[in-house]
Amino acid sequence: MARKPRSRKDSGSASGPTRHLWLKLATVVLVLALVGLAWMDAFVRERFAGHEWQLPARVFAQPVDLYQGRELARDDLRRLLELMRYQERTGAPKPGSYAFSGNTVQLHTRGFGDDDGEPARALRFALTDGTVGPLETASGADVDIARLAPLQIGSIHPGHREDRVLVELDEVPETLVQTLLAVEDRRFHEHWGISLRGIARAMVANIRAGGIVEGGSTLTQQLVKNFWLTRERSIARKLVEIPMAWLLERHYSKDAILEAYLNQVYLGQDGSRAIHGMGLAAQFYFGRELDELEPRHYALLVGLLKGPGQYNPRGNPEAARQRRNTVLRVARDEGVISEAEFRQQRRQDLGVVPRGESALYAFPAFVDLVRRQLAQQYSPGELGGEGLRIQTTLDVLAQIAAESSLRSFFEQNNRAESFNGAVVMTAPESGNVQALVGDKRSRRAGFNRALDARRSVGSLIKPAVVLTALEKPGQYHLGTHVRDEPVEVELDNGRTWAPQNYDLESRGPMPMLDALTQSRNQAMARLGLDLGVSHVVDTLQRLGVNRQLEPYPSLLLGGVEMTPFEVAAWYQTLAGEGFHTPLRAITTVRNRQRERVARYPVSTRAAVDAGPAFVMQWALQQVVQDGTGRHAAQQLPGLKVAGKTGTSDSFRDAWFAGFSGNRLAVVWLGRDDNGAIGMTGSSGALPVWTDLMQRVPQRPLKLQPPDSVERVWLDDDGDRISASGCPGARRYPLLRASIPEQATACGKAGEVSEGVKEWFKGWFD
Amino acid sequence: MVQGLVRLIVLAVMAGLAGCSTAPSGPPPELAMPAEDPLAGSPALSLVRAAEAALQQRRSADAGEKLERALAMVPDSSWLYRLLAEQRLRRDDAAGAEGFARRALRHAPPEKPYYQAALRELLATALARQGRQAAAENARARAKTLRQP
Repeated sequence: MARKPRSRKDSGSASGPTRHLWLKLATVVLVLALVGLAWMDAFVRERFAGHEWQLPARVFAQPVDLYQGRELARDDLRRLLELMRYQERTGAPKPGSYAFSGNTVQLHTRGFGDDDGEPARALRFALTDGTVGPLETASGADVDIARLAPLQIGSIHPGHREDRVLVELDEVPETLVQTLLAVEDRRFHEHWGISLRGIARAMVANIRAGGIVEGGSTLTQQLVKNFWLTRERSIARKLVEIPMAWLLERHYSKDAILEAYLNQVYLGQDGSRAIHGMGLAAQFYFGRELDELEPRHYALLVGLLKGPGQYNPRGNPEAARQRRNTVLRVARDEGVISEAEFRQQRRQDLGVVPRGESALYAFPAFVDLVRRQLAQQYSPGELGGEGLRIQTTLDVLAQIAAESSLRSFFEQNNRAESFNGAVVMTAPESGNVQALVGDKRSRRAGFNRALDARRSVGSLIKPAVVLTALEKPGQYHLGTHVRDEPVEVELDNGRTWAPQNYDLESRGPMPMLDALTQSRNQAMARLGLDLGVSHVVDTLQRLGVNRQLEPYPSLLLGGVEMTPFEVAAWYQTLAGEGFHTPLRAITTVRNRQRERVARYPVSTRAAVDAGPAFVMQWALQQVVQDGTGRHAAQQLPGLKVAGKTGTSDSFRDAWFAGFSGNRLAVVWLGRDDNGAIGMTGSSGALPVWTDLMQRVPQRPLKLQPPDSVERVWLDDDGDRISASGCPGARRYPLLRASIPEQATACGKAGEVSEGVKEWFKGWFD
Repeated sequence: MVQGLVRLIVLAVMAGLAGCSTAPSGPPPELAMPAEDPLAGSPALSLVRAAEAALQQRRSADAGEKLERALAMVPDSSWLYRLLAEQRLRRDDAAGAEGFARRALRHAPPEKPYYQAALRELLATALARQGRQAAAENARARAKTLRQP
């Protein structure tokens, strides 16, 4: 009560009630401001400390191992290094550089920090006749195996469109930091979040321009704006931004703020993907890591902050160059770079890689496979924000080869314009998916034919029929005669199934082997019906077909739809000596700290006994040697391979599935509308397959018979033992249990002498 | 032809020496990688050594990664498949171990009965851990037969 009169007395000329009102109002404003400040303080502390960077999952190709004896063509190595954005520099002076000198390669690898990673190393090795020689370091120490950091081939960011590569401040080159500060906030280390000088300068500029043209913001203010506020330029926003910046500086170090800024800034757009942070921008624009860049690159990145769209170096290179040079000039004036550096750097081009050449977009079909597999186990939130690192099985060189083979087929076949194709390549021993092409224009993301084109497999099914027979050694072997004669089956729907041969002829009884190599439909249909369709279905499922199959007779000739990927899954067992090894595209998932969080190991199970598996491989080799796949044997002289052609009804689909000792590949050609393409497996898919196998390093099939198999001469009818030189005698690998007991007279006479002769022949060969 | 003659001579010498040889006696030799295994002399051996060390340190996932890298380099090494089987056993993946043990047997050199016996024992362990006692006993019996001189 005593204060009121004094207030009135002190009010001077103001009237009492008015002054009272102003005081109340001021008090309310003050209280509100304090409450607001307290709220902001809590807000800034909570949000900044607990900020979760949105880090999309990153997908990497298989790291490349270099070791003595590895087959690697010089052109392939160069292509690989270019994809990885290594630079050709005399002496390979720093990580990410290489030099060729005659047969000698100098390669300075980049280090990488995964469990199976290694530090950056300067290596030297010879590359002679496409084979890597002994590896040694620059100091002459021997190296058994060197590993190149895996190439990033994609990122997965469902649910949001923000992408970034987190960098820590000590990983950021000092030149970039100093250039940034010189241009954006010279007094960063002196102010406490806001710069009165900057604000005054902005006010003058705004008054002169008659509107808001300059913000005068410090880096801290920019960070606050980018983190929590809108892009709108208004006084109201400033009134929030300034205290928040001050509070941020009160609670956090300059380094923490700078690091957050470097990771938060928006630096461009890649379709629907927003490029945030210097780490990703370096990859996006220059295809390299931050620490491999030069001052001109840093200048461009810093220059982009003013307007990523306006100074987009791909869309507006001249504006980008001018802006970059302006930044370089500031950097020189502030002593970040020398005069000589300035002159040298400003003469250089922008150094921006074309967007289409980035490996991030190069392999959409394979990344699609990875994405689908991940989506089964990880939520969109985990994939989009946790910074997972996905290690895959993609063999970049095999992938490029597969794309090239398919592309060159279409380039050379005018009539193939209306159809498309797909390729799957795997490693028989591990199930690793090495390559996946889902479109003849391999960079086009869309309908992924390798995974989604479910098409009739035609004669690709026939090995399953033959294998079912071989697993009944008391009844069948490769020499057993089957009748290639018309066959009719009354179906439940009242129709009759009466398959025809490709040449519309029936050749009568023939060895099962010939029925396979010549792909005789009627013989295979009869064999399959004798065996029972359901038994063939059992065989297919044992081999690795996961789909439910109905035991209709038409299945025996491939009247069943599968995708190229599914075909690869069960041919994998034929290539793997009877061991089913499920296909895998992902090997390891690591978190952002690079700790392993999931592993997808190789698994294998015996699906077919060693004997039948060996005989089946041998039979498929004969398909390539003498049968419908002989084009491959002509084109791949000296390489033992095996496989089977497939052609669906009315020439709608052309297939070839085959393997060497270290590669399985499935090729499909067809039309999306399921129309006829007028090509067979032999004339269409096989040339693509053969071309592909020529492009990648191969190991021949090792056809080492197990104990349960003997090579036996049989007579013309295939039911009696014969001998070399006897009339009509043919030699087959037979399971012991399937060797006939009876022998021809000629066979009895020749048996012993032949055995000894062969033994010696082996020694002299 | 000359090479063939040389081989013939070598064969004759070996045949002569065979008469001097005796049946193996005493304890079976320590399990070692067969000299003819393709892993011998391969750069992949360094990965295998690192994997073995990881296994000893109970870092079986690390070991698995290294062995699978080696597998891409040497896909037909019985020894490598044997190690993969052991690694899977350490991870309580008996079915996986069975698959690799069988692959190791498929690639095992035919003239190494002790080695094959060791692989049969490994297979028996994998089978027994899956509760397939009869199959495990069968594998052990075959291992025993292989060890007999």
